[in-house]
Amino acid sequence: MRRLLQLLSGPQEIGHGAAFWLGLALTCALLFALPVIAGFGVIIDFSYLLHVIPLALGLSLLWGYGGVLSFGQVAFYGAAGYTYGVIGGNLVGIPGATLIASAGALLAVAILALIFGYFVFYGRVQMWIIPILTLVLTLVFETFMNQTAGLAWRVGDVMLGGYNGMTGIPSLQIGDLVFFGNAFYYLVLALVVVSYLLLRVLVNSHFGHVLVASREDDLRTEVLGYDIRRVRLIIFVVSAILAGLSGLLYVLWGNFITPSTMGIVAAVLPVVWVATGGRDSLLAVAIAAFGLSYLQSELASAGSQYALVIMGGLLIVAMTFFPKGIIVSLARGRLFGRRRQHATTTHTSPEVESREAP
Amino acid sequence: MTEVFNFAYLFLNNAAFLLLSALGLVIILGMMDIINLAHGELIMMGAYVTTIAYQAGVPFVIAPVFAFAIVGIFGVIIERLFIRRFYGRELGALVLTWGISLVMSQGIRIIFGSSMKPIPTPLGSFSIGDYSYSYYRLLLIALGVLLLVCIWWIYNRTSFGLHARATMQNPDMARTLGINTRRIYMYTFGLGAALAGLTGALFAPTTHISPLMGQQFVVPAFIVVVIGGTAGVFSGVAGSSTLLSLIQTPVGVAYGAYLGLIVLLVAALVIIRVLPNGVSSFLQRWGDALSERRQGAVGK
Repeated sequence: MRRLLQLLSGPQEIGHGAAFWLGLALTCALLFALPVIAGFGVIIDFSYLLHVIPLALGLSLLWGYGGVLSFGQVAFYGAAGYTYGVIGGNLVGIPGATLIASAGALLAVAILALIFGYFVFYGRVQMWIIPILTLVLTLVFETFMNQTAGLAWRVGDVMLGGYNGMTGIPSLQIGDLVFFGNAFYYLVLALVVVSYLLLRVLVNSHFGHVLVASREDDLRTEVLGYDIRRVRLIIFVVSAILAGLSGLLYVLWGNFITPSTMGIVAAVLPVVWVATGGRDSLLAVAIAAFGLSYLQSELASAGSQYALVIMGGLLIVAMTFFPKGIIVSLARGRLFGRRRQHATTTHTSPEVESREAP
Repeated sequence: MTEVFNFAYLFLNNAAFLLLSALGLVIILGMMDIINLAHGELIMMGAYVTTIAYQAGVPFVIAPVFAFAIVGIFGVIIERLFIRRFYGRELGALVLTWGISLVMSQGIRIIFGSSMKPIPTPLGSFSIGDYSYSYYRLLLIALGVLLLVCIWWIYNRTSFGLHARATMQNPDMARTLGINTRRIYMYTFGLGAALAGLTGALFAPTTHISPLMGQQFVVPAFIVVVIGGTAGVFSGVAGSSTLLSLIQTPVGVAYGAYLGLIVLLVAALVIIRVLPNGVSSFLQRWGDALSERRQGAVGK
């Protein structure tokens, strides 16, 4: 238990000390209390804004901590959504069908990531090639789903739906409890909090230190006896599952999915969140994902053409002037400034070297 | 016979498309280690410049010159403003140029709307057997080869090329010897952008001109570059566009363009698993082995 707490508050993430944890707990409590004070519409909106956080956390783990940049997270997001739709739609009426479909969706994404990742990491592809291959994967997926209109493209009882997307996807149901409205909101919130805390433990564990070491100097890490191909493949799969989780929550939220969830516009958003937040801080990324999703949906519902220009501009500004991320720079400057000296995030740490290899 | 000619035409056509798409990209990557994800949007910009010039009454033969110059200058401006801060940070540059590409494509959409009036394909066509061929496409094939030779000449036979290669191999040493490496980087990026603009101009009459047209170029271009590798820039891009066209053309003919694209991706994954450093390092090793054997024979 003590060990777990140590891992939670390790050096690989911002935010330490009683004040921080109290603040985080208070924020969570407020979010859990939200259905009491807010109306139905707000709950639906918040469910949507929160559902992207696992996707963003996955990319933060992959890019920020592992140094592996992927533009393909939305491909896994979409793949999970479509898989859930296909399995769930074919098992309608069977008890526990939606649970099976959820598990199937995440499994499918994990297998896809495993195969793709095997070629990429065990092929020792240079690091700059990975974003390009993952971008191509995303575009190929989108193009494929766009042309699946008509009766020829049906899996069992489910129409893939082409450009217009797949509709009538069943909501999650356990026994008599249908996850909708408040119940769904609590599900999303719980998953977000749990995935944040688990990832915090992961990045501060021995594995997390090896991961950061492989980002800082892959040759040295290998010479110390760690198989960085395996390390990278594992985080690639983990981040794909997190992206798949978001995709799953998306179809559970809206009961539909279109190929544009895997388009170039969708693909850029996670990268904007992570770059703006600060890629090696999970919390900053989660905040940025929430905030920028809000901005994006406001701009979209206002019919503004400038949403993409703003997102692209944000990316340029963040990369050029705040390489550590805008939120992290703000946080370092003010909120956590005094506590930060002992815990830099580029912590390749002598600890790693002094421990024995597994 | 007509079938053979037809296949050769399609094959060369595909190869020229891949080559022209990748040319500007590979110069910037090979010489500067900068991955320019805005490459497709620079091509798009070239097509827009050409179309606007053409609508304004400039003859089509001259319009590409405008595209070359304007996109080249735009490239230099981008390099001075942003790219120069990212030397040595490949992933940073990649994300930055993606941001630039978003702003460009959406900016163009806001200014010019979602499509442009097309330019008619010049030069007409001829037919052999049942198939009809366009002279313009043949011209593009020839231009692709010509451009590759020109670029090779610039980088291997001029003093600018010598300085550029020195900068690529060892920037610190090049600076010590009095080469202005900042200027070399600026010109190289400008040249890469200008070539992208020229590619856009050349393909403007053959394609639908829209703010998203860059995508159709950028994916094949990157696959060519990834497969080509950076061991030898020119052998890589020529070798990999030939190889990929050889894979893509039969599939495209038999099953349609979309599956051709899928095969391109799968081929890229498999080739990279077999040849992690790309076609160019394979060609280089092959060439080395050949010359070694020849020397061995002379030695005897």
